[in-house]
Amino acid sequence: MSCGIPPNKKARSTDCNKTMEDINEIRSNVYEIGYLIASSVPEEKVATEAEAVKSIITKAGAEVIAEGEPVIERLAYTMRKKSVSGAYDKYDTAYFGWIKFEVGSSKIEGIKKAVDIHPSVLRMLMTSTVRENTYLGKHAPAMEGDADLAASTGATMSASSAPVAHASPKKAAPCAKEEKMEVTPASIEQMDKSIDAMVKEV
Amino acid sequence: MTKQCYFTQNNIKYVDYKDTDILKKFLNPHGRIISRKRTGVCAKYQRQLAVAIKRARFMGLLPYVAR
Repeated sequence: MSCGIPPNKKARSTDCNKTMEDINEIRSNVYEIGYLIASSVPEEKVATEAEAVKSIITKAGAEVIAEGEPVIERLAYTMRKKSVSGAYDKYDTAYFGWIKFEVGSSKIEGIKKAVDIHPSVLRMLMTSTVRENTYLGKHAPAMEGDADLAASTGATMSASSAPVAHASPKKAAPCAKEEKMEVTPASIEQMDKSIDAMVKEV
Repeated sequence: MTKQCYFTQNNIKYVDYKDTDILKKFLNPHGRIISRKRTGVCAKYQRQLAVAIKRARFMGLLPYVAR
């Protein structure tokens, strides 16, 4: 096996082979496929279509790590796909699902082509990723100073919150003061008095 | 001075294109990516963020242009 080592350093060629194998092992073989199933597919058949996509992956010898069930999504823009008759079908909604899996890099091209030509798959995206969970979903942490930036930049795409701006210290200061307002807990004596007052009223 | 980067502060190592709620916070009303000068995101995560937004756009989860 040629590994780019000069002939005078042949003694190290075995080391080279080892390192190449190591590199292949180290190289990330975790991929994620995100796919859109056309909304023309009836809702009850979406699960079977998703299963078909999953079977393409598992048949290639991949190990599924995680997956997201297809959920109907309103698309940000109209997509079109050529139907069997040759006319373009337009879609404003689609079922978005994803599968994270581990497979050898040589198999990935075949999987990609097989999923892409699947008739009910509107669009797909193959990405290289990591084994650990990267999807936060609803657990995404809120941003600090949302109100500040929303006021300074007008508004962002999401009406609820905006990213932290490089707010000048002048702007950041009032916000910090507001947060420092402390609520002192009532003492036992105060509580007793208030309870007594309530009992007297009754 | 405290850290400003949203991802560093919240210990988010990878920016996922499926996290559209997070990504939307870094888009302006026209759907364009807000500069890191404005958002305070560090260079490493701004690169990841840009890729994630572009992937989400391709999948129709985010718009290319809005308004």
